[in-house]
Amino acid sequence: MPPFVLTVLKIVLLLLLYFFVWRAVRAVVLDLYGGRVRERRARPAEPRPKRGRSRGAPSKVVVLNADGGRVSTHRLTGTIQIGRGTNCDIRPDDTYVSQMHARISNRNGAWVVEDLGSTNGTYLNQRKVTGPTGISPGDRIRVGKTVVEVRR
Amino acid sequence: MSVAAPDRARRNTELALLILAILLAVGAYALVGLGLEGKVPVGLAGYGMLLVGGYVFAHLVVRWLAPQADPVFLPTAVLLAGLGFAIIYRLDPGLAGAQTLWLLLGLGLFALTLVAIRDHRQLDHFTYTIGLLGIIMLLLPLAPGIGRTVRGARLWVGIGPLQFQPAEIGKVLLVIFLASYLNARKELLAVATRRLGPLALPEPRHLAPLLVAWGLSLVVLFLERDLGSSLLFFGIFVVMLWVATGRAAYLVLGVLLFAIGATFGYLAFDHVQDRVTVWLNVFDPRLIRDEGFQLAQSLFAMATGGIAGTGLGEGQPGFIPDAHTDFVFAAVGEELGLLGTIALLLLYVLLIFRGYRAAVGSPDGFGQLLAAGLSTILALQTFVIIGGVTRLIPLTGITLPFVSYGGSSLVANMVLLALLVRVSSGAVGRPAEDADSTMFVRAARERGG
Repeated sequence: MPPFVLTVLKIVLLLLLYFFVWRAVRAVVLDLYGGRVRERRARPAEPRPKRGRSRGAPSKVVVLNADGGRVSTHRLTGTIQIGRGTNCDIRPDDTYVSQMHARISNRNGAWVVEDLGSTNGTYLNQRKVTGPTGISPGDRIRVGKTVVEVRR
Repeated sequence: MSVAAPDRARRNTELALLILAILLAVGAYALVGLGLEGKVPVGLAGYGMLLVGGYVFAHLVVRWLAPQADPVFLPTAVLLAGLGFAIIYRLDPGLAGAQTLWLLLGLGLFALTLVAIRDHRQLDHFTYTIGLLGIIMLLLPLAPGIGRTVRGARLWVGIGPLQFQPAEIGKVLLVIFLASYLNARKELLAVATRRLGPLALPEPRHLAPLLVAWGLSLVVLFLERDLGSSLLFFGIFVVMLWVATGRAAYLVLGVLLFAIGATFGYLAFDHVQDRVTVWLNVFDPRLIRDEGFQLAQSLFAMATGGIAGTGLGEGQPGFIPDAHTDFVFAAVGEELGLLGTIALLLLYVLLIFRGYRAAVGSPDGFGQLLAAGLSTILALQTFVIIGGVTRLIPLTGITLPFVSYGGSSLVANMVLLALLVRVSSGAVGRPAEDADSTMFVRAARERGG
């Protein structure tokens, strides 16, 4: 076996070794940020939240898991509690969600979301929700790794 | 609300990584043969088939019993073990057969652990039984008749021709015990009542376990003359105490106790003094042919390797005494160079990082402590031996997880891996009870994540 071939094979082995590391790191990154990466990519397609106000009232919300898959749909008829507690209407299978995490309710004809003192906070279009905040179709509410999308 | 699709995606990721790992393991083995004798080793097909069979079996067991487990654990361990096998075969072809058997036995126990333990909380019920077993394992080599002293350290047990190091499985048992014990007492231990300068300390009686662990590790140091295990046990204990309580004071206190113990060990034992002298003056002409020979050869080997290494089978790692156990890292450094050793380190970082990630993701305090403790075993062991071989810290003989030759170590590490897989699998689909979490994880979640 000529030394040249051995050197090439050695380099191939090393490259393959790093290829493995790269693939493994990618699997890890997808696990950690999978939901968020997809969320960011999906952003440009959505209408701007500020302008969305005029496009009518929201009528339902869609729950998406960390991988962006649709879990369930809820009609906006009354107050909706989000959390892992048994009395909640939306109960995400997500360890980053608190027992009583957030609430979507109707205040004087306008739908608002508010945080219920959750551990990890509630985010409306990447902004932390500090008090009752109005929502409109196209908005994305994030609790833990779960996203609740507001639809018309 | 858990859906089957993400589980399948995870398992497929695992399978893809596993195929890559097997390719690399078999490739490394074939390259060793090419480098040594200019031809592919005779046993390649048989070895490859045995390995592929064992690994695929392990993967199927995970698919069946822990479908939500982290996909990185098994392939990374398989790759480490595969590279280790190639290097061991390269150093001494006579050891390859035994290592294959140990590897298959390890995979069998990996599967058995997953079959027997469907939920890691099962282990939480046997706190003291497991703790007692762990201590027995740790002290077994001291028993007259079966204990054996190999090169100054009394850490072997021999029954007839069979020999093993009970401390290897003992450390896993002790981590299970500590996880269970600390989980039940984390609130008590987290309350500070006394102040010692800048340190807030809990009630003295709650400090007792720390002192007991310290005493135990000193006993190991005294009676078995095993620096590595002693360091490992104490380190694991301090880290787990920290995770359970979230109080850095324990870490500071642990380092202080360690410094006292280390100074004491240095003053009391010749072999500890030797290690430090060699560490500081390895190239001293009076030491280099004698006590410093092994470490000096290891450094020469890595220097010879350079950036890309001499190539598998083309270096001279045989000059390093015990290259197949404690000094396997130096052999990798010579034949695969800096690039190979960095890749090896990255694999450990991945494995350990995923272990801690499983800890943070686990919904119960016991699982969090268990995964954190097991990952700490891997982290400390890797740091201590690689640090020793590269002369960053004084050398303490301990195996490099999954890579070094040695049945006890490989089998114990496969069981450890199965437990990590189990905890990472249980993390999904069960709601987290914040009240049951360790203080460390609670604090981490409050910071946001």
